Amino acid sequence: MGRAIVITSGKGGVGKTTVTANVGASLAKLGKKVVVADMDIGLRNLDVVMGLENRVVYNIMDIVEGRCKISQALVREKHLSNLFLLPASQMHTKEDVDIEAINEIISIIKENFDYVLLDSPAGIENGFRSAAAPATEALIVVTPDVSSVRDADRVVGLLENNGIEGISLIINRYDPNLVAKRKTLDKDDIIDVLGLDLIGVIPEDKEIIDSENRGEILSIVGKSLSVQSFDNIAKRIEGEDVPFLEIPKEKRGFLDLFRRK
Amino acid sequence: MSWFSRKHTDEIAKERLKLILVQDRSLLSPSVLNELKEDILKVINRYVEVGESDISIDIRRETHKTILEAVVPVKGVKKS
Ligand SMILES: Nc1ncnc2c1ncn2[C@@H]1O[C@H](COP(=O)(O)OP(=O)(O)OP(=O)(O)O)[C@@H](O)[C@H]1O
Ligand SMILES: [Mg+2]
Repeated sequence: MGRAIVITSGKGGVGKTTVTANVGASLAKLGKKVVVADMDIGLRNLDVVMGLENRVVYNIMDIVEGRCKISQALVREKHLSNLFLLPASQMHTKEDVDIEAINEIISIIKENFDYVLLDSPAGIENGFRSAAAPATEALIVVTPDVSSVRDADRVVGLLENNGIEGISLIINRYDPNLVAKRKTLDKDDIIDVLGLDLIGVIPEDKEIIDSENRGEILSIVGKSLSVQSFDNIAKRIEGEDVPFLEIPKEKRGFLDLFRRK
Repeated sequence: MSWFSRKHTDEIAKERLKLILVQDRSLLSPSVLNELKEDILKVINRYVEVGESDISIDIRRETHKTILEAVVPVKGVKKS
């Protein structure tokens, strides 16, 4: 029986889809059978981020409405034969979603896969609820800013009320230079305020945007530091005790010594 | 902004967050939170001496429970 994990945040644009694709790929690199499910009905993105938009034939609503079997809707990733995308419907809205039917589909998928990662839409409405309903665990993605952390806290409260047990924190777009200048929240502040267990810190990394625009998953094709972060998150999900990376500050050139900080 | 007296942004951000979360987590409005503080002070004042507004309230979440913590510095014991 596989594990269903929702990736959610409250606030939009903090990196849920990025985390879903890359951590999903990192789990697949470990040999696990993985489905990443796009639960952002009406605004699907995961297919594009993974570069699979041309291979999508059916989507999750086609399964719900009986137009195809589950196996027909799953799209295999280009490099990894054990990583699959379950696409969202672009034609429906989040209000069209029948939570019971989605639960049913995900529980069938769980029987044949090690992991189902559910990419939640932003917000706390129906879309979020149908992404969270099939999950028994959650990864909360925050960026180091007040509004993102606040929204995350709200989402954690809702998840706890719905009996989700394992809730872990991912801090994304962490910029050690800003932290050193004390211009943004430190990771320990965020952990302290939210009272969650940290499972990963992902640095701000331009390679992420680049690979998303090319339609490649960075943790499959890339080498930058964030790839290590994604790989380590996958290992920690698997229960391995991996030490946290020290994210280095950018090196300052000689001329920077004369610049005002 | 002055170079000398300026508080670091991370400190300001953390303080703001803590205050926001006290309200979000308890769903207490600022005015209700104030009433709560006054009531707590009144009760404690019956037994020990406390300052006027010397109370801080924090609402923390621990696994499966939410904890309201009031910190009240005591000035001295009441003489009866
Ligand atoms: N660590 C990072 N470094 C640099 N850019 C990043 C990082 N993480 C995410 N991004 C960029 O931020 C943008 C938003 O990311 P993403 O789409 O994953 O967020 P989201 O939470 O899924 O958004 P939405 O709420 O709209 O679904 C993307 O352009 C992505 O490339
Ligand atoms: Mg998204």
